[in-house]
Amino acid sequence: MGEVFDLQLVNTALRQATPLILAALGGLLSERTGVINIGLEGKILMGAFAGAYGALLTGSPWVGLAGAILVGLLLALVHAVATQEFRTDHVVSGVAINLLALGLSTYLFRQLILPREERGESSVVQGFAPFQADWLQRLPLLGALLKDQTWLVLFAMVLPFGLFWLLNHTRWGLRVYAVGNDAIKARTMGVPVKQIRYLGVLLSGVLASMAGAFLTLASADQFRENMSAGRGFIALAALIFGRWHPLGAAAAAFGFGFFEALQMRLQGQPLFGMQLPTDLLLMLPYLLTVVALAGSFGRMKPPADLGNP
Amino acid sequence: MRPTATVCWLWQALLGALMVLGVLTLLIALSHQPIGASYRIMLQGAIGLPPGEQVSPLDAWDGTLHDMTLLLLTGLSVAVALQAGLFNIGAAGQLLMGALVAAWLGTQPDIPRGLHLPLALVMGALAGACWALIPALLKVGRGAHEVITTIMFNYIALYLTHWLVVDYLKDPSGAAPQTAPVLASAQLPALGNFSLTSWGFVLAILMALGLWALLYRTVWGYELRATGANRDAADAAGIPTRRHLIGAMLISGALAGLAGAVEVCGMQYRFFEGFPSEYGFDGIAVALMGANHPAWTILSAFVLSALRNGTYNLHVITGAPKEIAIVVQAVLILYVAALRLRRGRLEG
Repeated sequence: MGEVFDLQLVNTALRQATPLILAALGGLLSERTGVINIGLEGKILMGAFAGAYGALLTGSPWVGLAGAILVGLLLALVHAVATQEFRTDHVVSGVAINLLALGLSTYLFRQLILPREERGESSVVQGFAPFQADWLQRLPLLGALLKDQTWLVLFAMVLPFGLFWLLNHTRWGLRVYAVGNDAIKARTMGVPVKQIRYLGVLLSGVLASMAGAFLTLASADQFRENMSAGRGFIALAALIFGRWHPLGAAAAAFGFGFFEALQMRLQGQPLFGMQLPTDLLLMLPYLLTVVALAGSFGRMKPPADLGNP
Repeated sequence: MRPTATVCWLWQALLGALMVLGVLTLLIALSHQPIGASYRIMLQGAIGLPPGEQVSPLDAWDGTLHDMTLLLLTGLSVAVALQAGLFNIGAAGQLLMGALVAAWLGTQPDIPRGLHLPLALVMGALAGACWALIPALLKVGRGAHEVITTIMFNYIALYLTHWLVVDYLKDPSGAAPQTAPVLASAQLPALGNFSLTSWGFVLAILMALGLWALLYRTVWGYELRATGANRDAADAAGIPTRRHLIGAMLISGALAGLAGAVEVCGMQYRFFEGFPSEYGFDGIAVALMGANHPAWTILSAFVLSALRNGTYNLHVITGAPKEIAIVVQAVLILYVAALRLRRGRLEG
C-alpha cells in the first residue's frame, strides 16, 4: 500500500482540511455563545466569490481576502441582528443566509465575472504564493507537510491551539462559556450577553469567509457556481463530531479532509484488495456524525443554552 | 379574529409585498433590464398574462403548476413537521429516496397494470418516510437535534442514490448514469393539455386538503399541534408526545418522498445523476410563508412557483440571471421568520 499512504497524501489532506478547519472553528465560536450557525455554507460561498472578485479587480490576493472577510462580516451581521434583535429562529435565519449566498454569488458571478470571460479576459485569480523559504522545506516533517502550501494552511494548523488557549485561559473565554451554557444566569451576573454573542457570530463570519477565500485564492484559482459544494455542512459535522471543542473540531475536520484526499488519490483503485465505492467514502463524514450524535461512543454535549434566544 | 389583528396582518403582508417588489426591482435594474418590460415578461412566464408572443398561456401555466406540485408537497412536508415543533431540513434527501424507489419500481415489468402506478407512488412515499424515521427515532430516543441529523441524511441520501444509480440500477442500454425509463403502466397521465403537469398536481391538492382535515379536524391532529405548541405542557396533559413527534416526521418524510415519486412518474420518467432535489429546500420557504397551514401553503406554493417561472422566463428572454428568484426567496424567509417570532410564537 506504499503508493496510497505517504506524506504527500497527508499534504493533500491538509490542503483539503484547511477550509473545513477554518469554517468549523468559525461555527464553534458562534455555537459556543449559544447561537446555532447552519449558515456556514453560505458564508464560505460568498467568501469564495468576494475573494475571487477582489483579487481579479486588483491583482492582489490580500485585497481579495479583505473583501471576503468584509462580506463574511456582513452576512454574519444579518444572522446576528435576526437572531438577537428580531429573535428569529436560528435555524431559519441560517437557511435564509445559505439561500441568499447561493442566489447572490451566482447572480453576481453572472453579472460581473462571466461577461469578462465572454470578452476573452481571463477569470483566473492571482492567488497566494506557496511557501518559498528553503529552510522551511528542509525541516524534517513540517517541510513535507507544508510543501507547496500557502500561509493559510499554517494558520489553520495553529488556530485551533490559539482558540483553545483563548477559550480556556482568558476572561473572554470564560464569558463565552457562561453565555453559551446559561444566558439568563450570565446576564444576572453582569455579563454583556448580546455583546458576547455578536462578537461570536461576527468572528464565525470572518473565519467561514476565510475558508471560502482559501478556495479561490489558494486552491482553485477561479470562482465557480456553488463551489463551496457542501463544505459548510461537513464543517458543521466536524464541529459536532469534535464535540464543540477547538482541538476536537479541528481534528475531525482534518479527518474529513483526509477522506477527501484519499478519495482523490484512489480514484477507483482498490484499497486493501477491496473496491471501495467513491460515494461511500464521501458519505463517511455525514454517517460518522449521525453515529456520534446517536451517542454510540459517549454522549455529545452541545452548549446547554444552544438555540435559546 | 379581532379587527386590530387583521389590520396588523394586512400591514405586515403589504410591507412584505412591498419589500419583495423592492428587491425584485433592484435586482432587475442591476441586471441592466428595463423594469416595466421585465415585469411584463415575468408575468407572461408565470401566468401567461398579458398575452405575449414568446410564451403561450398554456406553457406558462404548465411550468407554474408543475413546479407548484413539487413545492406544495415539500412545503406540506416541512409544515407538518413544524406543526409538531420539528424542523425537517431533510426533505431534499427524502425526496431523492422516494424518487429512486419509484423509478426502480416503475421499471419492473411483472407488476399488474392497474397496480403499478399506485404501488410506485406509495412505495416512493414509504421510502421518504423511512428516511425520516431514523432522525425521528434519534430525536426521541437520544435527543439528537433533528436539524443536524436531517442535514446529514440529505448528504447520505445524495451519495447513496448516486452510488446505486451508477453501480446497480443504471440503464444497461446507455452510458449515462440514469435508470431505464419507467414503463407506461407506472406513468402519471398528463393533466389536460399540459405536458409537464401531471395528475400529480391534483394529488398534491388532495394531500393538502387531507392534511388540513387531519391537523384541524381530528383529535390526533389536535394533539400533534399541542405537542408543537408546547411539548412540556402537552406531556403534562397526558398526550403521548413522542409518538406524535415520530408520526409527524413519518408524514413529513412520506410527503417529500411522494414529491420525488410524482416527479419521476409524472414528468422525468427516470432517476438520474443530479436529480433536482432543491425542491426539498424550497419547501422550507413555502411552509414558512404559508404559516404551516395547509390552505395557506397552497397559496404560498403558487406564489413561489410563479416567481420562479417568471424569473426563468426573464432569464430565457433577456439573459438576466435566474438566481433573482433565489435571492427574493431568501429575503422572504428572513422577513416572515422575523415577523412570526416578534408576535411571540416560538417554533422548533
